[in-house]
Amino acid sequence: MLRKNPHLFMRHISDEDLVRCADGELPSQRAAELDAHLEACWDCRARMESVQSAMTSFVRAHHAELEGQLPPAAGPRAPLRARLVQLASEQPVEWWKRALQFGSSLAGVAVVGSLLIAIASGTLWLRHAGQRGLGSTTTLLDMETAPNPGLTPGATREVTISEVCSVPQEEVVRDVSVSLRQKVLHEYGIADARREDYEIDYLITPRLGGTEDIRNLWPEPYRDRVWNAQVKDALEERLHEMVCSGQLDLHTAQHDIATDWIAAYKKYFQTSKPLPLSS
Amino acid sequence: MRADMPPWSQENAFQAMPSTVAASERPSRVEQEVMGLFEEFRGPLLRYSLSLGLSIHDAEEVIQEVFLALFRHLHWGRSRKNLRGWLFRVAHHLTLKQRLANHTVIQRIAGDPSVAEEHPDPAPDPEEQLSVAQRRYRLRAVFRALPENDQHCLRLRAEGLRYREIATVLGMSLGSVSTSLTRSLARLARADGR
Repeated sequence: MLRKNPHLFMRHISDEDLVRCADGELPSQRAAELDAHLEACWDCRARMESVQSAMTSFVRAHHAELEGQLPPAAGPRAPLRARLVQLASEQPVEWWKRALQFGSSLAGVAVVGSLLIAIASGTLWLRHAGQRGLGSTTTLLDMETAPNPGLTPGATREVTISEVCSVPQEEVVRDVSVSLRQKVLHEYGIADARREDYEIDYLITPRLGGTEDIRNLWPEPYRDRVWNAQVKDALEERLHEMVCSGQLDLHTAQHDIATDWIAAYKKYFQTSKPLPLSS
Repeated sequence: MRADMPPWSQENAFQAMPSTVAASERPSRVEQEVMGLFEEFRGPLLRYSLSLGLSIHDAEEVIQEVFLALFRHLHWGRSRKNLRGWLFRVAHHLTLKQRLANHTVIQRIAGDPSVAEEHPDPAPDPEEQLSVAQRRYRLRAVFRALPENDQHCLRLRAEGLRYREIATVLGMSLGSVSTSLTRSLARLARADGR
């Protein structure tokens, strides 16, 4: 009788298949084969019981150790709700939703039409206004704070996510040397600029894999303009946070900040102008 | 209704709120969804964050940040596919980031055998209670000796995540998750069977 049961004489189940079987992670056909073998094989059944017992013991120990420390949810529930309300009020309506709202009326159509004409004219004007190659998302007001892509295209090193996310800011961001600073200022034709007027900034921050390379450095004005160094710092922090929380891949973050950091700020903060620095 | 409220939140005002509540205070659909997920996953996420060595205060703060990130994620219309995996992934990264910021890895959970005595399971008699405590002590010692990534896999599996979700959270391949769990469970089974 036993000789007719093929499952008894198949090779014993591997440890990995036993664990995957216990976890319901095997394809159904393979799981059925293993079930048949387990019915027939005392040895594998004992091993399966041992695996399941280890799982049970571990999960009980894991929960028992931590369960007593968990405070009730009522405490953090209220502050979370309040923060969500605040966050909701800060989230801007996406432009196309505004357009749709307007689009339902003739006046809206007229406004949208005028805007399109204005954007088209503005873009044409921008093309003649300078050689910085800025995207249409960047206004004239922003131009002085944008790096020249010809001089500062950005430079990165090979870096992994875990490296990027495991090194504190103070360990990777440092002032550039005096000689490098002078080189950058000279390249931008402002060799005699005062130290307090410009920060030599990394286009791609070292926290996102940027390097201390002249192609990644440009003089960013400190003076009180809309898109200043502090605003870019906020973007860098935001991108780092998004990369490290898995919401954004590193390459996209590097590309977006290098291509047009102001457009990147608008995109990732969902805003058309810098948010107050305290927020 | 605030003028700056997104249109979809106006359309989906919370029906169950008392009528006396001002319209501007009504939660949007995304807020409701986030609060619903908070009720469901706050415990497992907090437990996971604690098990990685954060203090309860830091872990609570991390979990708040996780749900604020979830709000932004949903608000921007990003994928709703496997939100449990998404939540654990963000919690994992924020917890490690916070742990690094603290510069102190609190070894309370893994290193302190008295923890189990603080929250003993109700056992029928002292002898059995002692046996349970000894068994857990052995398991904890084996667990502590595992490579960190193997510990992460076990913790996430203990919180109910499937292999595919664990692979996403930790940035590993599916095969590596399976191998890791097999290796860890073999060691735990030996300790458990003694």
